[in-house]
Amino acid sequence: MKFKKVFAMLMTATMLTSMLAGCGGSTENEDKETPKKESSEAKGDKEKGGDGKVYYLNFKPEQADQWVELAKTYTDETGVEVEVQTAAAGTYESTLKSEMAKDEPPTLFQVNGPVGLASWKDYCYDLSDSQIYKDVSSDDYVLKDGDAVQGIAYVIETYGLIYNKALLNKYFELPDAEIKSIDELNNFEALKKVADGIQKNKDELGVSGAFTSAGMDASSDWRFKTHLANLPVYYEYKEDGITSSEAIKGTYLENFKNVWDLYLKDSTCEPSMISSKTGEDAASEFALGEAVFYQNGTWAYNDIKDMEVADEDMGMLPIYIGAEGEENQGLCTGSENYWCVNKKASEEDIQATLDFLTWVVESDEGRDMLANEMGFITPFKTFDEYLPENPLVKANDEYAKAGKTPVSWNFTTMPSEEWKNKVGSAMLEYAQGTGEWDAVKAAFVDGWASEYEAAHAE
Amino acid sequence: MEKSIKKYFPVFVLPTMLAFVLGFIAPFALGIYLSFCKFTTVTDARWVGFQNYLKAFQDTEFYHALWYTVLFTAVSVILINVLAFTVAMLLTKGIKGTNLFRTVFFMPNLIGGIILGYIWQLLLNGVLAQYGKTLTFSSTYGFWGLVILVCWQQVGYMMIIYISGIQNIPGELIEAAKIDGANARQLLRHVTLPMVMPSITICTFLTLTNGFKLFDQNLALTNGAPSNMSELIAMNIYRTFYGRPGYEGVGQAKAVIFFVLVGIIALVQNRLTRTKEVQQ
Amino acid sequence: MKARKAKHGWLLTLIFSVISVLYMYPIVLVFINSFKKKAYISRYPFKIPKGNMFVGWENYIRGLEKTGFFDAFLWTLFITVCSVALIVVCCSMCAWYISRVKTLSTKIIYVLCLFAMVVPFQMEMYTLSKIANMLKLDNPWGLIIIYLGFGAGLAVFMFTGFVKAIPIEIEEASMIDGCTPLQCYFKVVFPIMKPTCITVAILDAMWIWNDYLLPVLVLDTKKYKTISIAIQYLKGGYGSIDMGAMMGVLVLSIIPIIVFYLFCQRYIIEGVAAGAVKG
Repeated sequence: MKFKKVFAMLMTATMLTSMLAGCGGSTENEDKETPKKESSEAKGDKEKGGDGKVYYLNFKPEQADQWVELAKTYTDETGVEVEVQTAAAGTYESTLKSEMAKDEPPTLFQVNGPVGLASWKDYCYDLSDSQIYKDVSSDDYVLKDGDAVQGIAYVIETYGLIYNKALLNKYFELPDAEIKSIDELNNFEALKKVADGIQKNKDELGVSGAFTSAGMDASSDWRFKTHLANLPVYYEYKEDGITSSEAIKGTYLENFKNVWDLYLKDSTCEPSMISSKTGEDAASEFALGEAVFYQNGTWAYNDIKDMEVADEDMGMLPIYIGAEGEENQGLCTGSENYWCVNKKASEEDIQATLDFLTWVVESDEGRDMLANEMGFITPFKTFDEYLPENPLVKANDEYAKAGKTPVSWNFTTMPSEEWKNKVGSAMLEYAQGTGEWDAVKAAFVDGWASEYEAAHAE
Repeated sequence: MEKSIKKYFPVFVLPTMLAFVLGFIAPFALGIYLSFCKFTTVTDARWVGFQNYLKAFQDTEFYHALWYTVLFTAVSVILINVLAFTVAMLLTKGIKGTNLFRTVFFMPNLIGGIILGYIWQLLLNGVLAQYGKTLTFSSTYGFWGLVILVCWQQVGYMMIIYISGIQNIPGELIEAAKIDGANARQLLRHVTLPMVMPSITICTFLTLTNGFKLFDQNLALTNGAPSNMSELIAMNIYRTFYGRPGYEGVGQAKAVIFFVLVGIIALVQNRLTRTKEVQQ
Repeated sequence: MKARKAKHGWLLTLIFSVISVLYMYPIVLVFINSFKKKAYISRYPFKIPKGNMFVGWENYIRGLEKTGFFDAFLWTLFITVCSVALIVVCCSMCAWYISRVKTLSTKIIYVLCLFAMVVPFQMEMYTLSKIANMLKLDNPWGLIIIYLGFGAGLAVFMFTGFVKAIPIEIEEASMIDGCTPLQCYFKVVFPIMKPTCITVAILDAMWIWNDYLLPVLVLDTKKYKTISIAIQYLKGGYGSIDMGAMMGVLVLSIIPIIVFYLFCQRYIIEGVAAGAVKG
């Protein structure tokens, strides 16, 4: 019985296999293969232009396309092959790790600051004799180990509360507005009054909330677990007169809670929805004029420009958390993008990489791309005439000119990615009502100590 | 004859064996070794004994993932098999459109896990948004989302296997039982079920291993959110490997533990299959 | 009796028709959303794209650009077809040899193949990707070899199951006629094994076409992406998931599967059923 069935199938099956084998086996592949081969041969020709190659593992996905374009320009000009690869969100460390283990590792990679540098120290070429180091305006923007220059920041960024000037002015004109001008909006109390007021009058103002949704999707939660969490760390360091710590005390956690509560309460969406909201959602809410405040940085300009909100209506406020003397607080400015050259690459590749970097910061094409296309403020002296047309950058200049103290980026001293993830998870659980604030405290304070210990156990 | 074939070892066996050693045996052996080492790349491995295993067993998230996986597998095995069997029974009654329905139910199988994950993320988040919730609100939502997804994907596959099992039951047997006065229920319990036992074992085995090894769907649907609470074991291991510097060895140790676990389950399953086969 | 059954059947057909429509709904939903402006997709997934929500082919164009979909598609096709062909030919040969030659080493090979079916991929993933990289197998050609090694367990197991059922007398007769083992294999044994070949080919093709983790770890993803990898990479950085492009690419990747399925569904379904009997 079974045998019969098998036999019957055999008949039909025989025909099918011959069919499948006929069409799928060989002819199709050959067709598909040819274009690929050609392109790799073409690449081979170009390689002859220079001895070394450059492979840049880029951290910033927002500028992925521009880097590829810039690399192409360089290759066309010099014949040196430059490959640019950008890691997907939140996977830079793991991508770097797996790429470094390969036999053609990145020649140029990034670390995010002292903590990141610690794990890649052995791979960092000393840049103290390089041309780009000579171009850096101040040693504040380099990472050093003793005298060796191991990393050089290539972009200085600023974040704060991006706000919609038109909508905010509309609020100031409301009869029951407690705050009447932007000048009064210089502390947490005032911010809270404004946000609550906007939320109360949201229909009248035509918005769906004061703050954009606090998206805590894993791709986007860095806005809060890292950038917002920087403020309590900053004030604690400031109070204790230190620049890093092996055990945080959490002095300003209560303030952190207040501002987080504010973000959640006066928002465009219910806290139960934020687990799957992304930064993209928040950007589109702001850009469509549905919310007044949007916590993000100068880099977000690309996502919100050319939509409903005009450039002259974009401003940026410091993030106030209710700390002493915050009236003089400026925006959060710093860098978490340091270039490092791979010491373990071949000599030719190192030289090619250094040449490429010099070209990027000195040539017209490179400077134009970085400043105008990517919108970067750089720490290089060569960029004096290249300042990006970015209203958010201008906001920062105004604060600096007014003599406000910028908030430094202390999140680069956070002990590990794991710590950030734990804090982020606890913040989300608290927001949804599925967890307590104590869990955030525990993740923040206890987690810091244990992660610091784990990271320095070697 | 055996002798003349024997000389052809390099032609018949060697290509497969080379690839097998390269793609399977060597990584396996190296994996066992590395589970006792601390390393960031293969070349800088340093022997640390059982330290990785200790760390793995201290990891509460690992236990959670394990428990979550067991629960998920149990629920999905039962649901998929019951649904698939029911559909198979109904689709062997010779109703109109049987072929079309079979075609439709089987189709999701051909779609990859990553694609499936994003399809269902859109649909389920859309539905949940009406109630102010999302898939990643808590692990419960993620759990049932994943169960629905794998049911949608696998019911068709298992249905095909059950259908071929049911169709293999000799018609005389059913006729004989009917003549003896068996009602539909008795027919199912005493004739159909015992006769499709081989199909049941196979389907259980397939759904069981699919459940334990599920990764792509998990990655695309919830990515473990919130707080890694909707993370299955395969993803927990992956994240330990690639998400956390300095924990590669622990990840490898977890993988070995996982392997032992799957091995035990396969052995038990194999035993059960054999006893059933003897009975028949 | 007859009348009752017919009535029953009519009802069942109706119920199943409804279920079938529901069953296809998720795919239809993606299709609908692929024509929606990206800002509206996650907010109003169930609305029909009209007016300013409708964007035409924009999502598809952007999706194709962002993912390099055509390359990914061709590489996936290349990898799948070659791997499956290699697995079928090599593993069936190997299976025949180890069932006809009974020595300790063939027994060990068989046991190892059984063993390979049990080992979860997580056990191998890290070391495999390292070995592949060191031996420069991190390209589609190398991946094919790795798939052969990885698929060998199940394939050899299934083929040996079938070879046992082939009467040895036919082979002996052909050898006496002066065939070498190789000729005997390809002229006599391989044609008989074709149904199993189809089964193995279908099961492995379904696996390899959709596989994500193995190619993403092994391949040099700068140069080569498969469809699954390309889709996962769309989930770009800093909270920007371009839902529009995502929908477009999802539709594009489902269409070829559906077309292929509609043409070959009988063989696929029979292959799956036959595979289960052996496994």
